[in-house]
Amino acid sequence: MNFLTQILPWNRVDKVLLIALFGLMTFGLLFVYSATYNNELFSSSTLIKQPYFKQGIFYLAGVTIAFVLCLKDYNQIARWAYVFYWLNITMLTLVLIPGIGSMRYGARRWFDLGFTQFQPSEMAKVAFVLALAQFLSRPRRELSDSRVLLKGIGLAMLPFALILMEPDLGTSLMILPTGLVMMYVAGAPWGFMKKLVGGATILTVLALAYVFFVPNEWKPIRLPDHQKRRLMVYFGVDYAKHYAGPNATNTEISRARALQKQDSYNVVQAMISVGSGGLTGKGWKNGIQNTYGYLPRGVAHNDFIFSVIAEESGFIGSTAVILLYGTIIAVGIRTAIRSRDRLGRILAMGVVTMMFFHVFVNIGMNIRMVPVTGLPLPLLSSGGSSVICSLAALGLLQNIKLYQKTI
Amino acid sequence: MDNSLDKPKTDKRVYVTGAAIGIGITLLLIGLWYVQVATALVYINDQEIQSMRTVRIPAVRGSILDKHGRPIAQDIPTFVVNAYLEELRPHFREEWKRSRPAKSLSAAESRQLEIQVRHRVVKRFIEMLQLDQQIAISPNKMESHFTNQRALPLPVITGLSITNVARFAENSWKVPGLELEATPKRMYPSPSTAHLTGHLKRYNYQAKEELPYNYRLPDYSGKVGLEKMFDQYLCGQPGTRAVQVNNLGYRQGESTPVTSQPGSNVVLTLDMTIQNATMNALEKGLKKCGAKAGSAIVMDVNSGDITAMVSAPVFDPNKFTPGISHALWNQYLTNRPSPLLFRATQERYPPGSIFKIISGLAALENGLNPKKLIESTGSFRIGKRSIKDTASPGMYDFKRAFKKSSNYYFIHQAVVEGHGKEHIVQMGKQFHLGEKTGLLPEQETAGQFPSIKRVRDGWSEGDTANLCIGQGEITVTPLQMALMTSAIANGGTIYHPRVVDRIQSPNPNIKENTIRFRRAQKRSQLLIKRTDSLKIIREAMFADVAEEEGTGQPAMIPDYNICGKTGTAEVKKPGDFHKITWFVSFGPFEKPKYAVVVMVERGVSGGKTCAPIAKEIYEVLIDQKRNGSLAGK
Repeated sequence: MNFLTQILPWNRVDKVLLIALFGLMTFGLLFVYSATYNNELFSSSTLIKQPYFKQGIFYLAGVTIAFVLCLKDYNQIARWAYVFYWLNITMLTLVLIPGIGSMRYGARRWFDLGFTQFQPSEMAKVAFVLALAQFLSRPRRELSDSRVLLKGIGLAMLPFALILMEPDLGTSLMILPTGLVMMYVAGAPWGFMKKLVGGATILTVLALAYVFFVPNEWKPIRLPDHQKRRLMVYFGVDYAKHYAGPNATNTEISRARALQKQDSYNVVQAMISVGSGGLTGKGWKNGIQNTYGYLPRGVAHNDFIFSVIAEESGFIGSTAVILLYGTIIAVGIRTAIRSRDRLGRILAMGVVTMMFFHVFVNIGMNIRMVPVTGLPLPLLSSGGSSVICSLAALGLLQNIKLYQKTI
Repeated sequence: MDNSLDKPKTDKRVYVTGAAIGIGITLLLIGLWYVQVATALVYINDQEIQSMRTVRIPAVRGSILDKHGRPIAQDIPTFVVNAYLEELRPHFREEWKRSRPAKSLSAAESRQLEIQVRHRVVKRFIEMLQLDQQIAISPNKMESHFTNQRALPLPVITGLSITNVARFAENSWKVPGLELEATPKRMYPSPSTAHLTGHLKRYNYQAKEELPYNYRLPDYSGKVGLEKMFDQYLCGQPGTRAVQVNNLGYRQGESTPVTSQPGSNVVLTLDMTIQNATMNALEKGLKKCGAKAGSAIVMDVNSGDITAMVSAPVFDPNKFTPGISHALWNQYLTNRPSPLLFRATQERYPPGSIFKIISGLAALENGLNPKKLIESTGSFRIGKRSIKDTASPGMYDFKRAFKKSSNYYFIHQAVVEGHGKEHIVQMGKQFHLGEKTGLLPEQETAGQFPSIKRVRDGWSEGDTANLCIGQGEITVTPLQMALMTSAIANGGTIYHPRVVDRIQSPNPNIKENTIRFRRAQKRSQLLIKRTDSLKIIREAMFADVAEEEGTGQPAMIPDYNICGKTGTAEVKKPGDFHKITWFVSFGPFEKPKYAVVVMVERGVSGGKTCAPIAKEIYEVLIDQKRNGSLAGK
């Protein structure tokens, strides 16, 4: 402790945040293990390749990075925000180049580092929040200038576009509402906010209408088919009607139906997992959906980790997970409220908002409140980039608490 | 600095954002509550549907036992080698990798190779067991099981010999995924009961409303005979096994929520020693005269209990499980004489002279003086027809006419002396001729017998002459004749024949649920006006076997007084003339115990063909009684 108090103001460390983090990481280790112990892909491989072991290493790495980020005042760190931002933009550009970025599941999102994969869009989210916070921390009156606001929007649109090109719709869509909330908190004029939200809503509606109702042959740009089908699954569009048309033969109809079944498979299985968990769950490692392979092995330990938790620990367990996230978010909001400077407040709210959207979308897709998008559940989903970047972001949050000016 | 905060407006926006996030989290919690608590049952059910397969497990079928508890039909264990596909899966994959050619395969080729690979792996493992039996399932059969019943073990060798069971136990550690399991098979140790027990057939699930099982293991139900009549008691209660399967349909675990309840045992009145001896005697007798078909019955005259009841030729009921071959079934259907026919009850025959017991009794009751002598001329003329007599011409009283089976005497009594048609018909009715006995409702014929109305109108004297010697419009079953003989022997009581004594639990300690069928159920009592009529018949029957000139003499056994009557009925069909030969009897004369009825199709004569068969049967009965009483002491 002596050592710690010497290098940072330890007595101001938010203990509640630490406890919540510790709780989530425990959940993460337990259920990544549970989701993969029965998986033939991993069962024969060495300890070092076991997802739960890797997850533990990532937790350690992430906590270390978070700790390092707490050594210096966030105001000092924020001076490097734009450098970090552009570095990330460069990486997002590089990853799109074949030969540099590696291709998996039809998307170019990763750098292959040999021992693991690195997903630059995860880090870009943190870089974006930091850079936008720094940008918006300017005196409030300057935000009345629409040129400044447009620059802020540009700051969001650049990573959004690059990530969308990978393509990774889920991650890219995280950027826009986070940016919007940060602008709102920063005190952008109300009229501008109204226009922005109104415009975004209209654009979304138009985009959906375009996807669903404009015949394919008239479209100059098309949404990748799998994304479109995910939306169709979410909105419950009948494939047979949409794809096969009124004069379809029986084989066409049954093919469309089979495709629909295949596309909705994940979400149907996730819902069965969550629902069959009931109030108290089936017990750790006893989830049938996961151990018997109904929940696809490829996603059980990452994007659909919540299904495993919910099935095995029931409503009680899933409530515990949500309350842990709620605690972290509440700590973040309190930090923002208590913050005496604009940067601290906007940054804290940015981190909190980003976290919330991830949690909401990821858990929401398990119970069909939100369309399925490939988005990790922060800290719980297996995956190095996501875990480390989430911990880094929470390190920034802790930093604000540590160095904020008190009244 | 400008960086300082301008309260309170920014604070409000943070609060609004915080509140919005709070609402979002609440929404998540409500959503989760709805899915995991409010509607959890829906998903629990969905999961069960996709991961649970129910299997109907047939119960062990009850046994059919003889009166001493010896098996007539029973389920015995046979050994099967089952392949558990989920355990073999890694080996399938390995073999697949090894045998995949360098060039890429089309989907159909790839599928074909997979089938071959799976078969090869199982075959190789079986060879490692060093049994002298080979894999008994074709690649295509295996594939069909793999596609449709992946969760169930696949039987790859059935009916393992004892040596192979030992070898399996020795070598099974070497191979994964193969298990030795016992399954019941229906066994009928003796072919002599084939017609009575009947046989089984594959259970037809569509016919009955049942639980919606995913899979059903093969089960059987009774097709004919006692197996069918008592099917509901024999079949027991099927059990349910729940197999948990993974997303690919492989078995992951199983439980047995409902265990099967074995069926009840049906205990017969039959004595298998007598039954088998009766069969042997009949078959031996048939062989001696070159005949192929016949029937023999041993009945307790004082109760109507059947001790033995056989019919030849027989079929093999063992061949019907697991399924009879097409060729054999066709053979059974087309062979003549048909092996499927239960001749004791299912076929009707002209009784011939054994009917003189009834026509004689009718005449005695009508006032015939048995001492009065009648002169026989050797043939009886009615109109243009002359009925020949096998008995020599001469003077006949009742006893001599009976034991020599004089047609002249009996026709004379019926036609000339007025002991005719209506008296005979009424007497026949008292013996329930032309009626079913009710023993085996689906394997029984009533026979034919004229009604009073029939003989009053359009009935000629020739018809009466035919009727009184058991020819013409009269046919009977051996069982009916056994009941008639019993009634003569026991003093006029006609019993309901009985072959099933009780239905009891397979657990010998449970007695409560036993269903008993009462012994000696009276069907009717003969109305006899003259007290000595039956005695005269019995004495005449005794004379038929014991005295000189008696047609039944070949049945005679020293020290055991058998009473009998022979019969040889002629069947004239265009291009086919043959004789139905009979011997009906009871013994001993002093205190009647058993009735023995023998009928042979296409025999030589009742005395030559059937009486020796009956004699052999009596010898076994006597032998058993002697041994039994010795053992009792």
